[in-house]
Amino acid sequence: MTPRTGSDSGSSGNSGSGNSGNSGTGGTGGNSGTGGTVLSVRDLSVRFRMRDGSYVRAVTGVSFDLAAGECLALVGESGCGKSVLASALLGLLPGNASIAGSALLGDDGLDLLRAEERVLAREVRGRRAGLVPQSPAAHLTPVRTIRSHLRETVRELTGDAGSGRVRAAAGRAAFPEDHLDRHPHELSGGLAQRAATALALVGDAPLLLADEPTTGLDRDLVERTVDELRRHTGDHRALLLITHDLAAAGRIADRVAVMYAGRLVEITDASGFFGAPGPRHPYARGLLNALPERDFTPIPGMPPELGALPPGCAFAARCARASAACTVVPDLVSGVACHHVAVAHA
Amino acid sequence: MLELRSVTAGYDRRTPVVRDVSLTVHGGEAVGLQGPSGCGKSTLARVAALLHRPDSGQIVLDGETARGWRHRAPRAQRTAFGVVFQQPRLSADPRLPLAELMAAPLRSNGRPVDGVRELAETVGLGADLLGRRPHEVSDGQLQRACLARALALRPRWLVCDEMTAMLDASTTAALVGVVEAYRRESGAGLLAVGHDRVLLERWCDRTVDWAELTSA
Amino acid sequence: MADTVHPAEKTENGPNGPNTAVWRSRAVVRRSTRAWRVRGSAAVVAVLMLSVLLVPPFAQLDQQAVDLAAKLRPPSWTHPFGTDDVGRDLLLRCVYGLRVSLLVGVVAAVVSTVIGTAVGALAGALGGWTDRLVMRLVDVFASVPHLLLGIFIVAMFRPGVWPVVVSVALTHWLSTARIVRAEVLSLRSRPYVDAAISGGASRRRVAVRHLLPGVLPQAGLAAVLMVPHAIWHESALSFLGLGLPTHQASLGTLVQSARGSLLAGDWWPTLFPGLCAVTATLAVAGLAGAWRERLNPRRRSELML
Repeated sequence: MTPRTGSDSGSSGNSGSGNSGNSGTGGTGGNSGTGGTVLSVRDLSVRFRMRDGSYVRAVTGVSFDLAAGECLALVGESGCGKSVLASALLGLLPGNASIAGSALLGDDGLDLLRAEERVLAREVRGRRAGLVPQSPAAHLTPVRTIRSHLRETVRELTGDAGSGRVRAAAGRAAFPEDHLDRHPHELSGGLAQRAATALALVGDAPLLLADEPTTGLDRDLVERTVDELRRHTGDHRALLLITHDLAAAGRIADRVAVMYAGRLVEITDASGFFGAPGPRHPYARGLLNALPERDFTPIPGMPPELGALPPGCAFAARCARASAACTVVPDLVSGVACHHVAVAHA
Repeated sequence: MLELRSVTAGYDRRTPVVRDVSLTVHGGEAVGLQGPSGCGKSTLARVAALLHRPDSGQIVLDGETARGWRHRAPRAQRTAFGVVFQQPRLSADPRLPLAELMAAPLRSNGRPVDGVRELAETVGLGADLLGRRPHEVSDGQLQRACLARALALRPRWLVCDEMTAMLDASTTAALVGVVEAYRRESGAGLLAVGHDRVLLERWCDRTVDWAELTSA
Repeated sequence: MADTVHPAEKTENGPNGPNTAVWRSRAVVRRSTRAWRVRGSAAVVAVLMLSVLLVPPFAQLDQQAVDLAAKLRPPSWTHPFGTDDVGRDLLLRCVYGLRVSLLVGVVAAVVSTVIGTAVGALAGALGGWTDRLVMRLVDVFASVPHLLLGIFIVAMFRPGVWPVVVSVALTHWLSTARIVRAEVLSLRSRPYVDAAISGGASRRRVAVRHLLPGVLPQAGLAAVLMVPHAIWHESALSFLGLGLPTHQASLGTLVQSARGSLLAGDWWPTLFPGLCAVTATLAVAGLAGAWRERLNPRRRSELML
């Protein structure tokens, strides 16, 4: 991985020079994607300036690539910065946020982090990057029917709002036609989620961001939702699934990236993560062991405050393997950021 | 023993969401109630904790039939329950710091509030978080505070309504651990309502399906 | 919208973080204009309050004094606002008028908010047929044009300050009642109220510690938003000759007594009191709007991870 400084390499629309190749950064094993790189993130950092002048570093130095046809699951507990990452990619951060790094989209290398609001609104959102939001009921206008939502989006993105198009859009997400004239509060959680998915798919965007799409859903509905998302990904779209639900991630992800305290601590392919040999970072291992299907034991302690990160590895305070080496932040090397990976365990 | 006998309840007399349901939780037992979202199990949990008046049916709490609900229930009966809800953001008064949140039941009953710090430690909250307000802490930390509030009066019965639905795996395991530690120590009974069968079967002594309850 | 580029800097993490990073933020232009609007409104309100409090003790104005030799002089250095039709200095009259109008406006707004809060809270908290009865009463009051009702009330008394206050207060509590009732209903169904009840809290405790503090910010805001409206009503009633007696300066009586002079081409007796009313109203409304922004709960947690 070529180290990049934060220096500005030119404005958006600059083709090619920003892309550092297609291979997944730090991912062991190949992508299952058949196409080129859809999204290439380098050293993405986000910080928020609080009222008292201090900074909260929500995301620090995140880098990864996403290829067409691939599903990358970004997991971590609530408060680790993963939703901030999604908001940063779509330019939806609040006014007190500052960003560093780059996020290059598609073949022309459009840098999402530097693009102007005009470009993002007209070309990116919905057309090149679709968002399936958390808690869809909160993201749908309560006084409008689903049909009117779909019609508006279809008209905006394709220019033709015929009823045939609207029905096709609903059908793509398996949203039943007879519910099209209902309002969001009249729908169950699962149907609202499907409505939101339908809206995200209208523009046929090559990049799909799903931000906690399964919160509050029953297990079989979780499974159906993520299966549908995977089906939509197919061979030509890329899916970035942001979730704290490891079981859902395990079902559909090709690769898994684990975030802790704003940094990526492990990025590896899914079969090696959920099966043998299992995650290599102690936090990721602890997270998997906390599932009721496995050991059901929690990781002791609590994550650090993002406004008061300790120097060195943020997980050291809770880690059984901590030693003097942990006063330095470990680099992400071959998919793991830990000083003690080489220690073999049974 | 906590008995729910032929409870019918809902928000509109014409369409009850809970129809003629009976359920018994023995002392010290943990019962999981599993059902899909929207089926009415949360309503049943609130009826059991004397927070919602049923259209018909009875709640028998340790041999005494409950005669009133919410404010009309005698304080001794109300405080025999500790309740934790699904959404920590809505379960906490946004103006109160966490220490006040946890001490509220103690104040309501005229008990001394000096044990709040230990209470916070049992749920894994450090002393530095006690002065924070709900919007300054994460969902997991807030739910821990709500659990501490439920345990403050050392209730005989715990009702957890989808307590961990919004939380990640590690916090879920931690909170379940706290509940179980409390139950071991105090012998309290538990009614855990949720939709995650794997979790409930791992956690509770027995798990009842909503479909079974309503067809019986 | 410009990107603000901060100079490359070492990160706060010391030697561990990336050494240099070029941070960019999207400058939000809207926020700075809003801040200036708030400062402007606050400044105007401050000036008005100061003049209303400080000027009268130093410049005693005999309301009945008449100096016909100086009548209807246009604005000049000795009389910055000119003089009115009986020779009184208009600037002083405006200050006195503003004082009365503000006083009436504030008292009427506060009284109407108290009535509205009490009614709304009662309806929301008790529910059932109390709620229905009260809301039908509100609907009955709302169906009458409130200016007419205000005129009717004030006409039952002799002209004076207190009838005006009573009239404005009794016609403006409706919207506050509806807002407060809605807020109470929404708060009552929150799980934290259930948790308090389960913890053994009495009805009074729940009302005082949980419901009322949730309602007070809205009620306070309603009161502040009501002040411009109340000032306007007092002016309207006085203009119609039903409010304050004409010798007593209030913004409404000033405009009323200037009607005749306007036709003669003397613009200042109408303009300056009117400007005072407009300025005071806009400034108070601006402050109230800024307060409403601050009350918006989402702004309190700017950071949602």
